[in-house]
Amino acid sequence: MSTLEIWADVYKQYWRINFLTALEYRANFLVWFGFTFIYHATALAALWIILREFPVMNGWTFGEMAFLYSLWMLAHALNNTLFLTVGDVPEHVREGEIDRLFIRPLNPLFQVLTTPQQIFPDELVLAILLFILATIWSNPIIDIWFVIFVPLVVIGGALIDFSINLMIATCAFWFVKVDALRWVAFQLEQEFTRYPISIYTKGVRLVLTFLLPYAFMNYFPATFFLDKTEDALHFPPQIGLLSPLVGLATFAVAYSFWRVGLNHYESVGH
Amino acid sequence: MHWEFRVAPYFEFAKKAFAREATYRMEVFTNIGSLVLRVYLMRMVWLALYAQNAAPQGIALHQILTYTVVALLMSLILEVDGTRLIRDRLRDGSIATDFMKPISPVLFFFSDGAGQTALHTLLILPSLGFALLMVHIDIPSPLAAATFVLSFAIGYVLNFLLNFCMNCVAFWTMESFAVQLIVRWCSDLLSGQIIPLLFFPGILQKIVLVLPFAAIYSTPLLIYIGRIPPAEYSAALLSQIVWLAVFALLSVIIWNRAQRRLVVQGG
Repeated sequence: MSTLEIWADVYKQYWRINFLTALEYRANFLVWFGFTFIYHATALAALWIILREFPVMNGWTFGEMAFLYSLWMLAHALNNTLFLTVGDVPEHVREGEIDRLFIRPLNPLFQVLTTPQQIFPDELVLAILLFILATIWSNPIIDIWFVIFVPLVVIGGALIDFSINLMIATCAFWFVKVDALRWVAFQLEQEFTRYPISIYTKGVRLVLTFLLPYAFMNYFPATFFLDKTEDALHFPPQIGLLSPLVGLATFAVAYSFWRVGLNHYESVGH
Repeated sequence: MHWEFRVAPYFEFAKKAFAREATYRMEVFTNIGSLVLRVYLMRMVWLALYAQNAAPQGIALHQILTYTVVALLMSLILEVDGTRLIRDRLRDGSIATDFMKPISPVLFFFSDGAGQTALHTLLILPSLGFALLMVHIDIPSPLAAATFVLSFAIGYVLNFLLNFCMNCVAFWTMESFAVQLIVRWCSDLLSGQIIPLLFFPGILQKIVLVLPFAAIYSTPLLIYIGRIPPAEYSAALLSQIVWLAVFALLSVIIWNRAQRRLVVQGG
């Protein structure tokens, strides 16, 4: 078997186990599905209530804000579906399980991403439904560019989300406990992507664009798709189409950092 | 079972909880950092909304900013859940020994929560300092301030009872954590913690204002910002007390059932 075939085979087995686990613990799965649903439903309900009283926010209507949210949710749900287990790295380090990854003849990061969990693409399905609704509400121009770039932007956004999580997880090689760091990044992502970044002060806009480029998950692409002027940093709206590239670039940085982390960990001599 | 009621042991439980929570220093800093982020976020959101729209429901910008910041500070205290212990102790089985001790388990949970609350109240001081650097908070009149404190105290006990009932669900199903988070998120929205209930449209507003969740955040906050005038204080406090009584009764019923269930299971 070639390397690629081995990877494909491992990945297939991994998903088989995920689905079987979800089927085994059906009640559990339903409760967590309710959890995911309510989480996004309350966030959207709050947006709806606020934008009933205040029809526009920096030029954005409720439909457009829902589109902004759904674009983030698609990327975030894709990340949660494919790359959720990277969040377990600090625990693997703490428990010393990470040593096992070095013995096996497979890429350590690939092994981390194929540690069976109870993963089911339910959030992704919800995100697609919301995206369809939000597209109807916000009425963007649906042409060939929309059809080509929405999936690319979502993949780019998932890569951005994943890369930032990977970098935080990598910090565990030095600090072991990275809960506080995780919490801050989690909050920046969850709450600061909910509104157009043009409402924030310059420093925060720059952080969300260049340092932790969450704005490329939804704000810049949504500005382009909805044909709005970009008034956060005064870029041309086409900047939103760069999301896939930004995703690849952040992943390159995060992966290099991960390699440095692995080497550092080995050198300690565990 | 018969025992003499003494306050001293519960005071000790509270002190222990305080000391235990204080050892998680990183968590303490995370709490403050997260609060500062949220104050900043809410300030920018309301500034943007008020910049382009007329003030709705007669709530001025300075009132909404005060509302939001006070709500965030209140959440530092109200999000403490001492009754979480029920779930943990059910899982590892140590709840059986709690029933054998000459103490009231419910008061034990309450004092544990109170100890955690004491620490979180201390945390409010630095958080308040940071928040004040970012936004201006209105100072209410002495009467409004005193009524706010009273109303908040009722809300605190009601919140405890609500958490208590939720955690007792674990006696029947072990997977109660997700259920509890679901209720938490709904109550965040329905209690007026995130947005004032006055912004809810029409009939929806009437419904959420009479739900028990409103008695936890909304009532004290509306007293604080002056939306509930002194003439309506007694009515507002009374409705809180009614909900408190309802949940106290509910808690007693659930607790008795739960205890019996524990006996049936064989503890």
